[in-house]
Amino acid sequence: MMADSGPKEVAVIGNTELTSAELDNNIKNTMVEIEKGTNLLRKMEISVAEAEKRTGKNTVNMQEMYTVYLIETRPVDALTEGITPDSLWRRYSEFELLRNYLLVTYPFVVVAPLPEKRAEIVWHKLSADNMDPDFVERRRVGLENFLHRVASHPVLCNDNIFYIFLTEQDKDWKEMVYETGFQAKADSRLKAVNAAFRVKNPDGRFTELKHYSDELQTVLSQLLRVRARVADRLYGVYKVHGNYGRVFSEWSAIEKEMGDGLQSAGHHMDAYAASVDDILEEEEHYADQLKEYLFYTDALRAVCRKHELTQFELEMVALDLAYKKQQKEELVTGTVRTFSLKGMTSKLFGQETAEQREAKLQVLEQQLKEGEEAVKEKNTESDEFVKTAWVDIERFKDQKDRDLKEALISYAVMQISMCKKGIQVWTNAKECFNKM
Amino acid sequence: MSACTPKSLASSGQKPIQEMCHPLGAEEAVLTPSPDVRNLTSSIGEKDQILTNGTPVETSSPSSSSSLLNRLQLDDDLDGETRDLFVTVDDPKKHVSTMETYITYRVVTKTTRVEFDLPEYTVRRRYQDFDWLRTKLEDSQPTHLIPPLPEKFVMKGVVDRFSEEFVETRRKALDKFLKRVADHPVLSFNEHLNSFLSAKDLNKRQGLALLSKMGESVKYVTGGYKLRGRPVEFSAMGDYLDMFTQKLGTIDRIAQRIIKEQSEYLAELKEYGPVYTTWAASEVELQGPLEGVASCMANCSIALDELTQDMSGDFLPVLREYVLYIESMKAVLKKRDNVQAEYEAKREAAALRKEERPTAKVPTDVEKCQDRVECFNADLKSDWDQWQNNKTQDFRQLLTGMADHNIQYYEKCLAAWDLCVFQFLTGHLHRRQKSEED
Repeated sequence: MMADSGPKEVAVIGNTELTSAELDNNIKNTMVEIEKGTNLLRKMEISVAEAEKRTGKNTVNMQEMYTVYLIETRPVDALTEGITPDSLWRRYSEFELLRNYLLVTYPFVVVAPLPEKRAEIVWHKLSADNMDPDFVERRRVGLENFLHRVASHPVLCNDNIFYIFLTEQDKDWKEMVYETGFQAKADSRLKAVNAAFRVKNPDGRFTELKHYSDELQTVLSQLLRVRARVADRLYGVYKVHGNYGRVFSEWSAIEKEMGDGLQSAGHHMDAYAASVDDILEEEEHYADQLKEYLFYTDALRAVCRKHELTQFELEMVALDLAYKKQQKEELVTGTVRTFSLKGMTSKLFGQETAEQREAKLQVLEQQLKEGEEAVKEKNTESDEFVKTAWVDIERFKDQKDRDLKEALISYAVMQISMCKKGIQVWTNAKECFNKM
Repeated sequence: MSACTPKSLASSGQKPIQEMCHPLGAEEAVLTPSPDVRNLTSSIGEKDQILTNGTPVETSSPSSSSSLLNRLQLDDDLDGETRDLFVTVDDPKKHVSTMETYITYRVVTKTTRVEFDLPEYTVRRRYQDFDWLRTKLEDSQPTHLIPPLPEKFVMKGVVDRFSEEFVETRRKALDKFLKRVADHPVLSFNEHLNSFLSAKDLNKRQGLALLSKMGESVKYVTGGYKLRGRPVEFSAMGDYLDMFTQKLGTIDRIAQRIIKEQSEYLAELKEYGPVYTTWAASEVELQGPLEGVASCMANCSIALDELTQDMSGDFLPVLREYVLYIESMKAVLKKRDNVQAEYEAKREAAALRKEERPTAKVPTDVEKCQDRVECFNADLKSDWDQWQNNKTQDFRQLLTGMADHNIQYYEKCLAAWDLCVFQFLTGHLHRRQKSEED
């Protein structure tokens, strides 16, 4: 399967064991691919077809219930030939592992988020139960969306770990991921926070982006909360109208002329009350679209943090170099400009010998050379990061504008449909009333 | 469940649609008068000589398109019989005096009836005066159903007696009351109604009225006689009224609940829109669409507010007033029962006495009672029919009104969202064109 339809453009993909160096090579190669615009999704149909409940023993050897998701893949051309898709089962935790791997391996990419692990922003109809079938179903859709996002990303789609996640049941995928050593590459949170505080010259665009993602997170959280409350209230309004159905029916039984009209009107009231369920079900889809972008803000902030870290490391290395240069100057000229214990002691206890000075100078020269190399390296690293990250951020921005505009339009269309249904029901009821 | 509606009664028969009264309509056909009316007033005979009054009266009834249509339709269907007494209650005004503050209403009468000296009258009356009229009507026409008045007492702290809303609701109810009286074949010829409509100052002599009212009610309500055989049709009426009251109560509760839920929905909606505005502030491409959504929601909020106001103002008061109407009807039924009970008791007593003196005639007292019972029954039957017709009309209008309000609400929201989508698409096009030009 891999030989037939796997992406062949990048040479390294095809190996199952990837060393750290090869991973880097991978990145460099795939950066070329951004221009070529390979898109796994164009070659391959990916879907999360089903969800199933399983029981098994967890790490502390206790029985637990969990859900597995069926991933189906099939080459796009296979549609017409009716070939059955390949499939395998994966748990949510495996998706999480995949995502963490991608985050660490491609820190300049705004990696798509996973759907909620637990149902958090709920309105009264949805339970906060992970086993609730509606929740599981929406999670299934969310996971499929995640896979599509990754598979259509110009960089991520070429990742081998991702490919195997999708296609190979037999191999111990988890082992493979751990073997990439990505965990070691992960930056500690402490390091990142420290850098964020102390960095002196971050790229202004990243600072702006961080502010934007904070604002977006705040506003989307609020929006989702209020929307859930609005949905709750709307539900109440519609459902109470169902009571009219009942009372009209009872009333029609004691009437002679008015009976028929009342009875039929009552039916329409029942229909009106029932219609809210579909309306709110559709709106959940809109809420899910907003939620995806709410969770995307985390990925945006992660990229900003990575920039701050690389920038900070560059600044540290440059600072160190400057300090060493100064030390050399002092040694050469014999002046002590900065306070140092060595300087003090030499002042108090006499200068060093010429040989000692020479030895020191040699060491410093070496350090300076190394320092300059380090600065050059860090500079390149930082520049590359900024460049590749900003390309992906622009891609993300375009995607976000497109997706959310579409979401808003479909929301408006939903509202229009709801209004039309309302007009229909009440017009029907009015006709019944007129016939009384 | 067997239908407990009144059966077709001999005197009135089934009325064709044309003759159904529309309480809020300007033109109405006069009902076939009940038998005793012919005896009561001789002027009825002259009715045919009265010239048709073709001038449509300006009423203050709701000028919604449906009621207007109804009015016009009934005009076309008149059977040559025309109304000759038109009344309107409008123009509420506040009067402030040293003693008290109160509201008066303008009562306009247009008529061709001989009982009135002039063809037109305009007077000012306050609620007290309407109350006086109703009491007088009840006393002088005890066998008829007198339409109800809106609630007399309002808790001063809770309801603002001078708010526009309250005054308007009351005015509508007073207008309805007077129109129902004016349309009644018997009540409309009552002398007290005449005074009410025409006199400059009502010489009410309330003290006397109160006494006489008490006297009459003692006679009719606390007769203390036990009723033996109530005719089935009147039992059916009583049962129907009980069940109907129950249903109205339920509907009132539902309507109130809906208004409450809608208010809470509105409160959340008012918070929802502004969040989109906040979001728009941090976006570039999405700013237009997001602000469009926000303004659309603001419009929907306004529409929802209007819906709630309409339902509170139009629907609930009319519903509640019907409960009063039912109470009046029940009271009349009770009176009838008492009259019949009195007759039965007296008849029995007479029969016993007759056993003692077989040759004695049936006393005239018993005959009088029998007459009273028969008159009452006849009046009640015809009033019942009219009441049923009114009820059907009223509820048809009430419920179609409710449907209309909801339809209007959804149409307003639909327009707002249509505009929103239109702006999305044209804005999008505009931006595309611009970027292509750049």
